[in-house]
Amino acid sequence: MSLCQNRLQEERKQWRKDHPFGFYARPQKNAQGVLDLKIWECGIPGKEKTIWEGGLFKMVVTFPDEYPTKPPKCKFTPPLFHPNVYPSGTVCLSILNEEEAWKPAITIKQILLGVQDLLNDPNPESPAQAEAYNMFKRDRTQYDRRIKQIVRENAAP
Amino acid sequence: MEQLPLPTSLAEVEALIQALYQPNPPAAISRVQEVLHRLQRSPEGWQLAQSLIAHREDNIRFYAALTLIIKLNRDSAGLSEDDAKGLLENIIGWTIQSLADGAGNFVIKKLCTALVTYFVHFSHLWPNCIRHFTYCLDLGRGASLDSLDDALQTDVLVAKLDRQKLRMAIWFATTLVEEVGKTDMGAPKFAQVHNRLVKNGPDVACLLARGFSPPPDSPELRTQGDTLGCFQLVGPAINCFADADLFQPTAELFSDALANYSTFFTDEQYSTLASLFESPWAAEHYQRTLHGNHQEDGISFGLLILAYGDAKVHDLMHSTDNRSQRFLESLSGLLAADGHLVGEDTIFVPALEFWSTFIETMIDATYSDEETSQNWKPYAEQHLKAVVMHCWRKIQWPSAETFAEWDSTERVAFGEARKDVTDMLQSVFTLEGMSLVSFFANLFLQALAAQSWTELEASAFCLGGLADCISDEAKYDHELSKVFASPFFHLLGQAQGPIPLRLRQTGLALIERYCEYFERNAQYLPDALNLLFAAVGDSVLGGPSARSISTLCSSCRSILTGEAGAFISHYQGIRSSQVLDSLAEERIVLSVASIIQAIKDENQRLNMFEELYNRLKKDFELAVQLKANPGLLNLQNPDFLRGLDPPNPQSAPPTEEVALQIALRSMRCLASMAKGMQDVKESPVDLDNEPQSQHANSRLASLQENIMRVLVEVQRVFNTSGEAVEIICNIFRAGFSETEPGPFVFAPDVVTDYFVQQRFETPRVGTLLSTACSFVGSLYRGPKAYVPAQLARLLPWVISVLQALPEPEADTEISLNGIAFVDKIMSKYPDVLFQPHHAPLLEFFFLFTIKVLDGNEPLPKSTAAEFWANFIPLKPPPSPSNPQLQQTIANAMTHLGPLVARSLVRNIGGRAARSELDKLCEPLKKLVTSQPEAQNWLHQALIFEGGEGDGGGGDKEGCFPGAGRVGVEERVVWLRKVVG
Repeated sequence: MSLCQNRLQEERKQWRKDHPFGFYARPQKNAQGVLDLKIWECGIPGKEKTIWEGGLFKMVVTFPDEYPTKPPKCKFTPPLFHPNVYPSGTVCLSILNEEEAWKPAITIKQILLGVQDLLNDPNPESPAQAEAYNMFKRDRTQYDRRIKQIVRENAAP
Repeated sequence: MEQLPLPTSLAEVEALIQALYQPNPPAAISRVQEVLHRLQRSPEGWQLAQSLIAHREDNIRFYAALTLIIKLNRDSAGLSEDDAKGLLENIIGWTIQSLADGAGNFVIKKLCTALVTYFVHFSHLWPNCIRHFTYCLDLGRGASLDSLDDALQTDVLVAKLDRQKLRMAIWFATTLVEEVGKTDMGAPKFAQVHNRLVKNGPDVACLLARGFSPPPDSPELRTQGDTLGCFQLVGPAINCFADADLFQPTAELFSDALANYSTFFTDEQYSTLASLFESPWAAEHYQRTLHGNHQEDGISFGLLILAYGDAKVHDLMHSTDNRSQRFLESLSGLLAADGHLVGEDTIFVPALEFWSTFIETMIDATYSDEETSQNWKPYAEQHLKAVVMHCWRKIQWPSAETFAEWDSTERVAFGEARKDVTDMLQSVFTLEGMSLVSFFANLFLQALAAQSWTELEASAFCLGGLADCISDEAKYDHELSKVFASPFFHLLGQAQGPIPLRLRQTGLALIERYCEYFERNAQYLPDALNLLFAAVGDSVLGGPSARSISTLCSSCRSILTGEAGAFISHYQGIRSSQVLDSLAEERIVLSVASIIQAIKDENQRLNMFEELYNRLKKDFELAVQLKANPGLLNLQNPDFLRGLDPPNPQSAPPTEEVALQIALRSMRCLASMAKGMQDVKESPVDLDNEPQSQHANSRLASLQENIMRVLVEVQRVFNTSGEAVEIICNIFRAGFSETEPGPFVFAPDVVTDYFVQQRFETPRVGTLLSTACSFVGSLYRGPKAYVPAQLARLLPWVISVLQALPEPEADTEISLNGIAFVDKIMSKYPDVLFQPHHAPLLEFFFLFTIKVLDGNEPLPKSTAAEFWANFIPLKPPPSPSNPQLQQTIANAMTHLGPLVARSLVRNIGGRAARSELDKLCEPLKKLVTSQPEAQNWLHQALIFEGGEGDGGGGDKEGCFPGAGRVGVEERVVWLRKVVG
């Protein structure tokens, strides 16, 4: 089995053993119902005591063949209103960037927790969409209202 | 042979030891050895060792350690307890010191052996030897045994050790196991030593775990190699299960080792464990796991057999022998322990984990090409049946009183466990298909007949969990119809019926999840929707019901067209009696609109549309009136109550705020209508033929005019609300994608009229610009005849907004979308863009983009780079409408080339961030490949930017960062590489 598959098997095992509350992460099933370990469907809950609390946001994590040498790609589906999420939904985060802070030792759990932290703590240094970035910088009240609306539309069951 | 006299000074002893390691005749060495032995055995031996241990020479230190071992073995009985404790502190201290001094490994290993010798003689004084030694290593000195109580957890201590200390700890642990293993366990003196050693198991496991995990930077594999030595523990340790005191630590040690290092166990050891699990002793522990108190007694035994199962999952799955079958049976039995999830029964979740792995292993084997024989499968499937049944029982809700006693963690964990069961069932479905669906459908009917609500709920929940696998395939409809045609849904509809809340929730969710089923089986649809509508007003069920309604109505719209009128009445009825949650209301409006969209007859369609729209129009009128006349506020009336957000505020908000919220809420509903009215049919698009222009008939046109008037009026009245503008944009966008006429598919002129009336001061003008970009995209998909006129009207408006910016970076959304808009016109209609009378606008725009390129905002900067990458090579064909087109572009480039070259050099020379370079290189490439003057422009820019030319170096503004470090020569070399 390839390094990538091996590592993902292990990630799956570790995730099942121990994962943070409110999150989910499972490999997609292909047409036959067999798991495709290289595409995971994940859910990231908004952190407690933040404006994101109560929301659950769907994200697809896609692992390249070179994983874990190269990082996976994380994409919110549908795209999320957030300064560090590209209009396509792709998340811009240093630990997911091969040229920045990605390390092969970073686990799926760490990635999802990292994205959860990013929700309430955007990085204005790396904007990825103008709409959320601009509103975050210029009109925080309006930004907070908008987030609350998004949380209602994506309420955790 | 003549004996040497005993030495009289330390120096003499040292000389003798040195002599031992130097080339000397054998007889001389024997004489030296003999005198040193005598010295070691003398009462002064302790003193001697202590004096020599601090020596700088490794040979002498090694000899000191040896002396200690000899003394411990010969004379430990003569030491008092206090002396012995002091001695331990000293030996540990010396060992740590030797490591710090850089002593050779052979010295350190010998000192570790001395410590182990100490343990063999004084294990009663040093029971937690691994933990204590680790603690001392962390402190960097020998510490008293009493101080251990205050120490951190062993795993924390282990985690703090550096690689060298960790390696030493593992050496110690390895020697400990080796040396104690050599003693006779049967002898009473050593039996205790063995027992104490095993109690150190979990601490050893901590060391092993860290020892095997590679260090973050440079993996030093020697530690891992050393760690392997410790595994000699297995044999003696298995014997410790039987000891009541040792059971717990032994089980934990084995579970950990089986889970993490399963391949280190030999077949023989696995077989020993398997026999152990069949013993009466194991049966007793197993029963205690099933029926005992998990909080008090723990679940070590259950975890142990699960860890064994996990380690041997492939073998167990493929085995058909009785022993394996019995063992698997006991593992499925763990899913049926006494007590509620998760607070009482703590073994269920780990057992479910095991079974999920087992099922995934089955799936892999079933679909793998390597498997030839599948005679194991019927056996494995038999276990799955038990697993599914146990899970179905376990996920049943407790009584309301019991649930009320749970804390929030227990409640969340219960929900999570139910989700895990759903995951597992989906995997089982991959193997079992139809029979699993029938199984739950039958359980559902049995529970219904018995009026056993918790069982019914669990069955409905499990069926719901399978929806993702089966809802879009008709072959399961037969089984599902048993459920959906059952009297259950009739009971569900009774407001005061017997069905408890949770079951109602699960029942309604089941309808939503099987949306595709209802599309195929329309006869059940009206009843299902009636149920959902009845629940919309419920505080708990309202949200999910509204979501279900919108899913069902949207996908079954063409079946439901006859119900449009009834649904509008439903909506009106609910509104007159209560205030819906605003999101639920939006979803209902969306549902009704999507049904209206599917009505084939245009008049009928518009009739229904108007009926729904007129309701919302009244809300807009109310909002506007209330804003003008706050005295109208009447909080007894549901129409006014809709303006409270949150629904039950602590104090009444200002009337103006209530008016705004009524307006916004109604606008969101109108946006939902626009979304519902979107066509969902996928009609083929003919790319070769020019799209025909669509003319709205007069009724539709006046309806559109009305909607537009309302929107403009609401925006005028609530002119500070950014949300209002945002919603208007969403309404427009919903129409842009449509190819057929409709109430929200406005004529291009109408949309343009709206845009050009907006000012820089309009809130969210950046969003308006981005909507204008989408509008241009939709114009490009429509008839060409409309396009130039619209673009020519929009361009001055867009530029005027950019001109109003105090500086290009003041609002990134405006800059970005403004540049993107011009880029979009340029891509298809350069003749419109470069009309002679646009020259002043474009002059401003080009300089604006260069300022953005020089700026710090990554998003507009990247859009500006894209714009230049498109403009630089622009060579449109001759245009009859603009004969000067090519000349205008060439002139612009001559003028702007040097400026853009300078900006690119400045950025690439260090101003831009690394992540921006890819984007910025595009215009540079285009410059070099398509503009003959590029080399000259870039050369000028390089010299200028270095401060060598213009301004003689005084112009710091223009310098690229670090220009001072790059000489003219190097710049020329760089340019040659770029241009060459």
